[in-house]
Amino acid sequence: MRFSAFVSIVPAAVLFGTFFAIPLVVLIATSFTSWSGRSLEIVGVENYQRMITDPVFMKALGNTLFYLAIGVFVQVPLGVGVGMVLALKPRGWKAFRTLLFIPFVISGAAYALIFSMFYNSRSGLLNSLLAPLGISGRDWLFDSETARWAVAGTFAFILGFVMIVIMAEIASIPRELYEAARVDGASELQQQLLITLPLLRNAIGTCVLIRVLADIGMFDLVFILTSGGPDDSTVSLALYAYRAYLQGDWGYANAIGTVIIGLGAILIVLVRRLFRIGDR
Amino acid sequence: MTHSKFPTGVVIAAVAAGALTLAACSGGGQEAANDELVITCATCQESPTDPFLQYNFEAAQRFNEEFDGTYRIETLSNANAGSGDERLQYYQRLALADDLPDLFQLNSAEISALSETGSLHDFTGELASDTAWADTFQPGTFDALTGIGGEVWAIPQQRDPIGIYYNKDLWSKAGYDELPATWNEFEEGARALAETGAIPLALDGDWATMLMWTNLIGTAPGGQEFLNEGIAGKDFVDDEAAYEATERLRDWHVEGLVNSDAFSGEFQNAAAAYLSGSAATVPNGPWFVKTNLQGDAAIDGIYESTGYSVSPGWDDGQGLIVVSGAGWVSGAEDETKLEAVLAFLKFVSSEEEVIIQAEQTGANPAVIVDQTALEAADLEPLSSALVSASNDVALTYPHVRVHGPAGFGNAWKNLWPAYVKGDIDTETFLTRLADDANASGD
Repeated sequence: MRFSAFVSIVPAAVLFGTFFAIPLVVLIATSFTSWSGRSLEIVGVENYQRMITDPVFMKALGNTLFYLAIGVFVQVPLGVGVGMVLALKPRGWKAFRTLLFIPFVISGAAYALIFSMFYNSRSGLLNSLLAPLGISGRDWLFDSETARWAVAGTFAFILGFVMIVIMAEIASIPRELYEAARVDGASELQQQLLITLPLLRNAIGTCVLIRVLADIGMFDLVFILTSGGPDDSTVSLALYAYRAYLQGDWGYANAIGTVIIGLGAILIVLVRRLFRIGDR
Repeated sequence: MTHSKFPTGVVIAAVAAGALTLAACSGGGQEAANDELVITCATCQESPTDPFLQYNFEAAQRFNEEFDGTYRIETLSNANAGSGDERLQYYQRLALADDLPDLFQLNSAEISALSETGSLHDFTGELASDTAWADTFQPGTFDALTGIGGEVWAIPQQRDPIGIYYNKDLWSKAGYDELPATWNEFEEGARALAETGAIPLALDGDWATMLMWTNLIGTAPGGQEFLNEGIAGKDFVDDEAAYEATERLRDWHVEGLVNSDAFSGEFQNAAAAYLSGSAATVPNGPWFVKTNLQGDAAIDGIYESTGYSVSPGWDDGQGLIVVSGAGWVSGAEDETKLEAVLAFLKFVSSEEEVIIQAEQTGANPAVIVDQTALEAADLEPLSSALVSASNDVALTYPHVRVHGPAGFGNAWKNLWPAYVKGDIDTETFLTRLADDANASGD
């Protein structure tokens, strides 16, 4: 029985080792090297020291944290709010739920292409909508002042995932709690704020965690929309690592990758503690 | 009696692993059973969208038919076959694993970078021992494919003059029967065009924008030296031609002579402006005719209204970008495979094949072709006229996007919008462009 149990986990262990553990070890180990594909030389912490004085890395770090903040502080609260409202099943809630969920199932690349047309300064819908309001058109994606906000605008309102998670969690809350509250004279708003919201702690924490993990590795939207420009004003850590890789600077690229993983790990621990995910 | 039984899943997994191992071990055979010599080609796959890949595919089929029983090309399916940012890295990884295909295509900047792995075949010996074949190539076609030590890393696939398409009707409304011959006249014409409501020049922030930059530099005194040599260095700021061209091109944007969506790096933005009849001018190569001018996105009559011209010049003589950057390279090491590689390269550089390629792709032959045969071929008249005009043009020079450092395109796309919008000055732009374009992990 014990042998069978051991054997049964071998495929999973092999897959985990092959596709996660070994690449992770290689990534971290080679982050201490100067590796161009042609030669490999151990340079200690040189790549990490270089980051501190590299203005583009600092921009990439700042942008990544900005995208992460938009995801956590805009997307998640909006998704929670919409989910809570739709859970009350107002008229047309199913149609709204479907409409809001559609962007979530569109691939990131397709979504980025749609938004690159939306933001197009010559023929885009945004400038056309703003023109009657007397707001002059801008080149939203290629103006340093607006580019980062324009990129964030593409994903800040993709509420589908958070909304669905929240609605599912609300459905699992015992109805008796609300009935008792109503008997005690609690208004609808008080029920939402004092019963629903506290009981959503685990679900909100999970949404924040998933948002953090998605945004810390932000790549496809930025790559397709702006390639990180203009003047690196939208570049993310993942895209900067990719650029370093394209330039044959593989050791530095892997050091940036290691930073992404380290940063992600720290944020996971913080979010888990903050939301006490798993506790009832 | 007790038996320790393996779960069914484990048995299936073990069998599958065994089968995969066997399959992997048997996959490396290059020699077919009937002594036919098989070589691999990573840019010979069928493609409904890329006319060059499609031509390569069909040429490989014709080669296989002609050399049936002697040589055979095995087509590898390759997501990085066409030009793209990741192609160089893809082949560098294969070079690291000592697993380069026997045949594939790269542009000159990629060839230069990949040659440093020491895995590319040097064709110097073959060309020297077969001068009849070597002499069929047009003068200068090997320049961009030759290493510092004189190594010939690739056999050129094409030699294309890249000119400027212009809408004759729009320019005519502004008072010009043809594209102006000097930059000053071009600017005056562009301003006149803008007054008629047309967009004088359609650019994209990448390929097309760099074409105009290259033309502005290449037609200036000393500009050709910069485009041929200086571009690989780190001193762009002190080059007068580059400095002047950069500011002039920026001013066109600031003045509104260029489409406002000229920074995305998507050529389709520039193409859409021209094909819709909104823009009067767009620079590009001969392939623009088949892929855009005769495509569904073009309004009726735009092809008929289009002229194709060499670049304006500053004062003395006009110029033309000539690209011979793309070439066939080989990662084959043993002599027998190289024999098949050479047979294929001679096959695709034969007069018959280069004319088929020209007909299918619009690309012009890298080899000298009999004028009668060219005239008899079904070549695109717009680009053929430019080929003829290129014989008389005063100045020719390579395109920075093809001949420049591998990182040039990405560096430009990142910095150009910020420069045009006034975030950085000319010195900073050129300094950072030179640094970023030439950055590598060395």
